[in-house]
Amino acid sequence: MPRPLEPQHSPAFFVRGPSPFARLIFFAAVSLTLMATDSRLHYLVEVRQGFTALLHPLQVLANAPSDFIHDTNEYLTAHSTLLKQNSRLTEQALLQSAELQRFRALEQENEHLRNLLGAARNSQQNARLGEILHIGRDPFTHRVVINLGSRHEIAAGQAVIDADGVIGQVTRVYPFTSEVTLITDRELSVPIQVERNSLRAIAFGHGRDTMLDLPYLPANVDIRKGDRLVTSGIDGVYPMGLAVAEVIKVERNPNSPFAHIVCKPLAGIENHKQVLLLDMPKPEPVVIQKKNSAPAAAAAPAKKAPAVKKPTAPE
Amino acid sequence: MRPNLSSIYLTLLVALLCQLLPWSGAALTIRPDFVLLVLLYWLLRAPHLCNIGTAWFAGLVIDLATGGLFGQSALAYALTAFFALSYQRRLTLFNIWQQAAYVFALLVFNQVTLLILKMFAGGESPGWGYFYPCISGIMLWLAVIFTRLGIQGHTDQD
Repeated sequence: MPRPLEPQHSPAFFVRGPSPFARLIFFAAVSLTLMATDSRLHYLVEVRQGFTALLHPLQVLANAPSDFIHDTNEYLTAHSTLLKQNSRLTEQALLQSAELQRFRALEQENEHLRNLLGAARNSQQNARLGEILHIGRDPFTHRVVINLGSRHEIAAGQAVIDADGVIGQVTRVYPFTSEVTLITDRELSVPIQVERNSLRAIAFGHGRDTMLDLPYLPANVDIRKGDRLVTSGIDGVYPMGLAVAEVIKVERNPNSPFAHIVCKPLAGIENHKQVLLLDMPKPEPVVIQKKNSAPAAAAAPAKKAPAVKKPTAPE
Repeated sequence: MRPNLSSIYLTLLVALLCQLLPWSGAALTIRPDFVLLVLLYWLLRAPHLCNIGTAWFAGLVIDLATGGLFGQSALAYALTAFFALSYQRRLTLFNIWQQAAYVFALLVFNQVTLLILKMFAGGESPGWGYFYPCISGIMLWLAVIFTRLGIQGHTDQD
């Protein structure tokens, strides 16, 4: 009885391992799994932290040339520039110390009044000075990387400010660095109030350019061009009264029930290298604020607004 | 440069360093994808040493460095590498300009794949500026090719 012919495999002419298509299928499956795990389940935080620590030396190496140029420039600053800067800073310090004295008196008075009222005391909020290492790698996300990380007891959710206003919030912490999402990112929202009339609203990042939106406000809302927006402090992340943005355009379209309000952030992210990281507020339960919880927190009615908290001098 | 494993990894490391330089402003929007260019070079030149797996790992490192979604660049690089490899035999017969056109198509393909993945993850459409890195990338490619590192050289291939 003749046996059926067995299929003959011709030997490969070139030894190339598995076919490209098989490799592609394998790696595509692995990366799809990774993406799903990362975006939905958030299991990879520790893995990411570990690998980022491994990449840290490379990062330092890549930053070395620009740091060197920066340092050299700093070293070679002209005498006159230094003198000018010195006199300007002295003047500024004088002015600010005068204001600070007034502020101290007001703070004591405020505390006294709060004691009288029996309201909850607000502890001081400490701040740390950080430095922006680089702007985010991806030009289409609004993130910066700063030089403080979990080794320096930085936690996700801390507010980041500079001399002019709010910059953003720490969203991802690595051992030696951390990632700050700017208020202009479309995933970050800041509870604000208008300084002029204490109207509360939520500012959303625009995403595409460096502007902020105030959506969902009725067309007849009392907001004018030039209004300053400050943090309302009801989210438990940003202390009350930090400058956020200035309204630059108010459009009232009769076809739409909402006003179209565009604001420009006051903080100079491009201009400064130093930023302040405010500690998480102590008295309230610590809320690790993820990107989308700000509206929920702000939507809750504010029973008490925390008093102005003083960022202590950075060490 | 002779295609051997150490030179491949060395050039990939240098490309990664270039990628990690503190780019900002306009330079950031036109920054070519150094790692992908080096990968394509080796994929077309030495596919027995640099394959889809290499591209995938390089993409994973990029994801870590940029803080993007874990695996998105890895997937885009693996797909691009697959298309690079599928025409690799024919490509060595092409002249410089035909090769450059194909590499340009691959660069655009990579950006489009990344864009689709980002859109799935909830990104916003970034506008035409998103494709500037392809143009700067192909310019860099041509610059490298014209400095006689061409991939069709049989003379130094052993």
